[in-house]
Amino acid sequence: METLFSFQHAYLIPLLPLIGAAISGLFGAKYLKENSHWPIWLGVGISAILSIFLLLGMLAINPSPGSAGVSGGPSTETYPLAKSVEYFTWLQAGDPNNEGRPDQPQVVYGNPTASFHVSAGFFIDPLNAIMLCVITGIGFLITVYSKGYMHGESGYFRFFAYLGLFIFAMTILVLGDNLIMLYLGWEGVGLCSYLLIGYYYEKPAAREAAKKAFLVNRIGDFGFSIGIMLSFLAFGTVSYFGQGVGTHTGLLELATGTHLGGFQTYALKWIPFLLMIGAFGKSAQFPLYVWLPDAMEGPSPVSALIHAATMVTAGVYMIARCGTLFVGSAPAMSTVAAIGCFTAIFAATIALRQFDLKKVFAYSTISQLGFMFVAVGCFAPVAGVFHLVTHAFFKALLFLSAGVVMHAMGGELDMRKMSGLKRVLPITNIVILIGCAALSGFPFTSGFFSKDQIVGAAFARNWLLGAILLFTAFLTAYYTFRLYFQVFQGPLVLPATPAPDHAHDSHDHGHEPKDPGHEEHHNHEPRIMWIPLAILAVGALFGGLFNYHDALADFLSHSPSFDLAWKLTADPGRYAAGFGHIDASAPETSEQGLMILSGLISLTGIGLAYWLHLLERARAERIAAGLEPLTGLIEHKFLVDEIYQAAIVEPLRRLGGYFYAIDRFVVDGVVGLIAFIPQFFGFLLRITTERGYLQGYAATMLLGLALILILIFLK
Amino acid sequence: MTPLTLQHFLAVGGIMFSIGLIGFMTRRNLIVIFLCTELMFQGVAINLIAFGHYHGNLAGQAFVIFVLVIAASEASLALGLVVLLFRQRNTLDADAWRDLKG
Repeated sequence: METLFSFQHAYLIPLLPLIGAAISGLFGAKYLKENSHWPIWLGVGISAILSIFLLLGMLAINPSPGSAGVSGGPSTETYPLAKSVEYFTWLQAGDPNNEGRPDQPQVVYGNPTASFHVSAGFFIDPLNAIMLCVITGIGFLITVYSKGYMHGESGYFRFFAYLGLFIFAMTILVLGDNLIMLYLGWEGVGLCSYLLIGYYYEKPAAREAAKKAFLVNRIGDFGFSIGIMLSFLAFGTVSYFGQGVGTHTGLLELATGTHLGGFQTYALKWIPFLLMIGAFGKSAQFPLYVWLPDAMEGPSPVSALIHAATMVTAGVYMIARCGTLFVGSAPAMSTVAAIGCFTAIFAATIALRQFDLKKVFAYSTISQLGFMFVAVGCFAPVAGVFHLVTHAFFKALLFLSAGVVMHAMGGELDMRKMSGLKRVLPITNIVILIGCAALSGFPFTSGFFSKDQIVGAAFARNWLLGAILLFTAFLTAYYTFRLYFQVFQGPLVLPATPAPDHAHDSHDHGHEPKDPGHEEHHNHEPRIMWIPLAILAVGALFGGLFNYHDALADFLSHSPSFDLAWKLTADPGRYAAGFGHIDASAPETSEQGLMILSGLISLTGIGLAYWLHLLERARAERIAAGLEPLTGLIEHKFLVDEIYQAAIVEPLRRLGGYFYAIDRFVVDGVVGLIAFIPQFFGFLLRITTERGYLQGYAATMLLGLALILILIFLK
Repeated sequence: MTPLTLQHFLAVGGIMFSIGLIGFMTRRNLIVIFLCTELMFQGVAINLIAFGHYHGNLAGQAFVIFVLVIAASEASLALGLVVLLFRQRNTLDADAWRDLKG
């Protein structure tokens, strides 16, 4: 482990994309121009190679499964695959050698001599090795695709610089060894998301979407930052594992301690809820999901990378990483699971009646993220991470395919206006079929296995939760194939004219063929775009093999975050009150039956879509018309945006109006009055003495002189 | 014939200063205004010489010599300025420059 290059030099993984971004950003506009992708390709590509070597190196060590943590004892040797590296001290406040209160040395609350320390360091373990491979690997494929997709756009260099910056922030997010580093990456990805959603900043819709994403995320980040502060107050550190696993100096281990103080116990009730709010914002869960569908205003590679594969999974990563903070609180875990479950079915329902390709995928992403939250909320973080990985593959694939469709259709994404595209886009037809199959959980694709594990975990916890997820899986299969059958099968229909001013999805027209005559011969599937798609399709098909014979669970059990959380759930003393018996690690029973059931459900959904959207397409609209109030409500996304607008945005805007009036007339009025007094006297002087007559000035001087002389002589 | 006393010189200086002042206040022609300032100036210079002579002190007269030299150079500069002002407005009326007021 120590000799592994990629392990020792893990700092290169975030650093190289950052350097690439700096080169592209600084020299792209003037010198690199159409070659601006090279620094990012190189930076992200090398990072991807390093990440894969890191993962392979970890796999090669292969400690005997199950040995992790069994021996206990304060030694990092129990987790041979986990290591923390501190590069330098980032923040230091107070005396670092202070021991704190003797009774509860960690508690900062009411302890004025406590010190605050944040290291710029990485904590590397199986969990973030997997995350890194997803981020840099899929990130690299998407940067390759982007060269074809963004070709000829103005601000080409800007796009790639933002992408590099995003990869940097995201890798920092997963690599950091403390919550502040996590927060740094968290905000960094939020910034890049904002910049990239607003990439077409000439378009009002893109600007609005970018602002919305940023503001909604602020709400989540507010809770998240308070959660970090409370963690520090209660435990005196924000580091995950302090000086090492087993030393009980880190936040995640201190939270598992058996002799917690009163304030610590109290804080532990709230910390998971506060952190959860941040996760809900970033990962687009129910109350805060509204930004993600609008975020589709960004270019398609951005939707694929940030809003499907990586950034939105940060919340899942955070909860998995901070598992020990969460599993200790039964209400917190139930909330995570319940919100995830509700979001899953809610977003899936909305996706049923969306007609914009990318909007369907966006709601589907929200729904699938809900699945992951159910997994982490049901003590099955491995299933959550597994679904995260497979979802990253097939959802990136679907978004990139939607990008190809958009390219070919000149910016049109309304699925009602197109049909039978398999004749125009044969390669895309195949890959999007694979992606749709994986998303809908078609048997033996990657999504089938990972979704099935989540459903299994949900059933182990609560049958209602599992049943809702199964129904959601059915809806997923239906809406996914509704899209596929509508757009790619059936008679060939192309949108008549590229709609130049379609209300919400006129994404960009800069990449239309300049000369309409060439459109017939224009290759809509350049190699640079379909090769990444093909690689992703392979991942989407066979990604299920990652967890063959629970390999992923074994691997992740070497991550202290997971192992400690499992040990905590296995501790009967802590759980007697909350749950009764929870069998987190082995939901083996009836797994076969569940697999068959969920496979059948997926096939039923696909069959329904076939019946409604390929055999006789009018039928779907007839049924929809029959259920009018309901379908209308769904089409308007349950009016959530309107409710938010009326209940939150408008009152705030009115309040802002009042404040503006107070500022304008009261505060500025007083200031203006004070400024008016000298102005008024100046005005008096101007109309009396300072009139510009030379003689006038002379007379004034003379009078003044006379006055002085008179005063002198009279004295 | 009474000898010339200090008061005679002071009277001449005072008269010259007053003429200059009145001229300055009443005339509008830039050159005449300038002339009047010179007149006031010379009135003051005569005062200085008179006091110097009265006190038997040459410093006053020497001082006037210096002042005259500086006044001469300043006069040439001021006349140059007057010429420039004239070229701008084609008039020597000081009121033409009223818009320079603060």
